[in-house]
Amino acid sequence: MPHEPGLGESVGARWRPAGFLLALPSLAVFVGVGFIPLALIATWSFWSFDPDTYWIKPAWSFASYAALLDNGRATVFLRTAGLAALTATASTLLAVPAAAVVGLLSGPRRAALLLALFTIPFFTSGLVRAFAWRLVLGRQGVINNALMSLGIVETPVEWFLFSDFAVLLGMVAAYLPFAIIPIVLAFARIEHSVIRASQDLGAGFWTLLATIVLPLVLPGIVAGFLFVFVVAVGTSMEVQLLGGAGASSISIMINDVLRVVNFPLAFAIATVVITLLTVLIIIANRALRLSRLFESLGI
Amino acid sequence: MSFDAIVRGRTSGGRLLFTTITALSLAIMYAPVLYLLLASLNPDAQLGLVPPSRYSLKWYFALLDDGRLAGALRESALVGLATAALATPIGLSAALAYRAMTRLRGVFLLVILSAMFVPGTIEGLGLSATLRVVGLAPSWVTIAIGHLLWTLPFAAVVSLIGLSAVRPSTIAAARDLGAGPIRAFVDITLPLMRTNLISSFVFAFLLSLNEQARAYYLAGRQNTLPLYMFGAMNSGASPTIYAFSGAIIVFSVAVVALVFAGLVGQQSRRPRQAPGETSY
Repeated sequence: MPHEPGLGESVGARWRPAGFLLALPSLAVFVGVGFIPLALIATWSFWSFDPDTYWIKPAWSFASYAALLDNGRATVFLRTAGLAALTATASTLLAVPAAAVVGLLSGPRRAALLLALFTIPFFTSGLVRAFAWRLVLGRQGVINNALMSLGIVETPVEWFLFSDFAVLLGMVAAYLPFAIIPIVLAFARIEHSVIRASQDLGAGFWTLLATIVLPLVLPGIVAGFLFVFVVAVGTSMEVQLLGGAGASSISIMINDVLRVVNFPLAFAIATVVITLLTVLIIIANRALRLSRLFESLGI
Repeated sequence: MSFDAIVRGRTSGGRLLFTTITALSLAIMYAPVLYLLLASLNPDAQLGLVPPSRYSLKWYFALLDDGRLAGALRESALVGLATAALATPIGLSAALAYRAMTRLRGVFLLVILSAMFVPGTIEGLGLSATLRVVGLAPSWVTIAIGHLLWTLPFAAVVSLIGLSAVRPSTIAAARDLGAGPIRAFVDITLPLMRTNLISSFVFAFLLSLNEQARAYYLAGRQNTLPLYMFGAMNSGASPTIYAFSGAIIVFSVAVVALVFAGLVGQQSRRPRQAPGETSY
């Protein structure tokens, strides 16, 4: 006879061996498609190019790592990280108030609508969203036309498009949801009674925000910053579509290195990036228990 | 202002400031794409807006004659359907596993979600190099393999959310009436999760449809839609590329909006959970 599940014990707890079996398909995908290829290219980054096969051969060498910072590649690493950090900062500054509107200042209906609006772009073409900025920022774009017809400038402003400014704007617009959603999840974990109590005790909006709300949602804010940073480090399409002549990023650099079939160097760049991103996520998870964020989804 | 907001009453301008910033955020996310959509209805060959009376689908019809586009569309549809057909059941099994796990579930979830953060270029590079060694020639199959890892985290989360709303008492009732775990799952859990499974499939399809960085490395001779589009965008602006972009965006947004409406409808039809009852 099946026993009644008690409080805090889920029905699923009876399926313990099943838990492992059910995890197998997704773990197989993770290991086979994700982990093994990354581990292989990490290994192959220490191999050498083989001119006979136009591939690599197991002649162990550190040459790729020695070449990692040559030819201005150090600059590309730093610029990519810098632009990603700037994107993450700007996104977080927009995301905290936006998440507060969703999580604190709206009723359930409007909160759901806003959340949908912030989520929909995830599932649309990033390429088109980046490309659309060309029509807004270009010489004959909306903004330049408006500025000229208002007489504010006489010739089109050139630095709007094909510049770091355009890349930054394109990335913030694209990756803002990555910052908003963890913060919204963090807001959902706040006990309403805490907010009521502080309001009853006379705390105004800003006091409430600074002393109660922000400390409680800090893990969400850091997670949002981190998510945007990680995604912005890895992207290339905004730089390719909106960046200036000669603008590069780590991903574009990998493409360029592959064009001259320097496989070991491409693998070395990829390995360094993956290692740094993994360390970053592990540290953040240790410090902030990121997986707890999902508890507010009830999962 | 709606009555149920958590913070009520005086907000000393904070509400106004925060609402303004939210509006600004939505504007930078949506305004450029909306402008592109309107510009794509301009029948002239030059960029810009025309009065609504002159709106025309001329450039959209021009797309129909583009043979290379049809090939890319077929390839993307094939990849997207294959990806979604795999990601949905695997995501569901991951969600069920998470529920059934008593230890390491946090680690398991993090592992599954980590795929979201692997840069597309690097995943594409690693996977294409691996497949080259395995001897699998680039085709729609290799793209779908790459897209499976990319879409799985989203599929798993959508299934997890659906699963968390299945009431344990319902399952317990089925079990008390003599249903085995599999029967209870097929007859009770699956039908209750129908909307989430459909969402999971649709999201995986759209994520695959719009994915470019991985496909760049994994595609064979036939381009997918984003690869074709990227080439067209960089070879000079033409009115057809605006129409092409517009069509992709309208399709994606319409499908997501339908799914969201379905999810919200399901939420409101669901009976509220009894106090103290834990989720299954």
